[in-house]
Amino acid sequence: MTYASALIALADPTRRAVFDRLRRGPRSVAEIAAGLPVSRPAVSQHLRALKQARLVRFERQGTQNLYAVNPAGLAALRAYLDSFWDDVLAQFALAAEEMEGEADAKRKRRNTRSGAKDRPRQGRR
Amino acid sequence: MQKTVRVKGGVEAAFRLFTDGIGKWWPLATHSVCQNDAVACAVEGRIGGRFFERDRAGKEHVWGTVTAWEPPDRVAFTWHPGRAADTAQGVEVRFSHAGAGMTLVELTHSGWERLGAKASTTRESYTKGWDFVLGECFARAA
Repeated sequence: MTYASALIALADPTRRAVFDRLRRGPRSVAEIAAGLPVSRPAVSQHLRALKQARLVRFERQGTQNLYAVNPAGLAALRAYLDSFWDDVLAQFALAAEEMEGEADAKRKRRNTRSGAKDRPRQGRR
Repeated sequence: MQKTVRVKGGVEAAFRLFTDGIGKWWPLATHSVCQNDAVACAVEGRIGGRFFERDRAGKEHVWGTVTAWEPPDRVAFTWHPGRAADTAQGVEVRFSHAGAGMTLVELTHSGWERLGAKASTTRESYTKGWDFVLGECFARAA
């Protein structure tokens, strides 16, 4: 379940606050850390985790090192979760169909058997 | 995020297949913690029952815990496969008659806000990041 890394990354409230800082555009580590009750090295640590989870990406603008939201990572997370349940429910529908098919076949066999029993009786009549 | 599917058969049969019969159809090789090393999965049919997979070595990996058990209409469970229980979301599955021997199955995967429940007791800004993920990431998927 590959989306797990992104969900784990976002489960941490401080990391979510770090991620929140990038909503309005790319920011440097110093800008992200300003106003957060954690040290800059801690912020860098969180950014690394978010980057590993493909939720943020690193950009170099001139002499500045910036972090930005990674839309591809977010889209992948959404698509994965979306397709996860699509796949599961498709398998379920298939299994339900097979089960009904077997039940139908059983019913038919029963009908055929009782039909076979009836026929000679009809013949005697 | 909500998903629906219409399946053949009655409500009771669909509920039983989804829960007791989950080992017969769940795509374990791709939709499990251990992937190809997963050999079985099961739901324990009662509130507090576990939803789990078993790997080749016999180790069990809990995906979630049953929070509602109302056969044949509804089952709900927490959902945290491969993650700690405190990062769980919730999944609810409802079964209803869809006419002509069909059953409508509605699956809702929700509770993203429960990720890191501690967030609610900290500053408001801590939750905004998650709103962003919800809005950007999941609202469109619903």
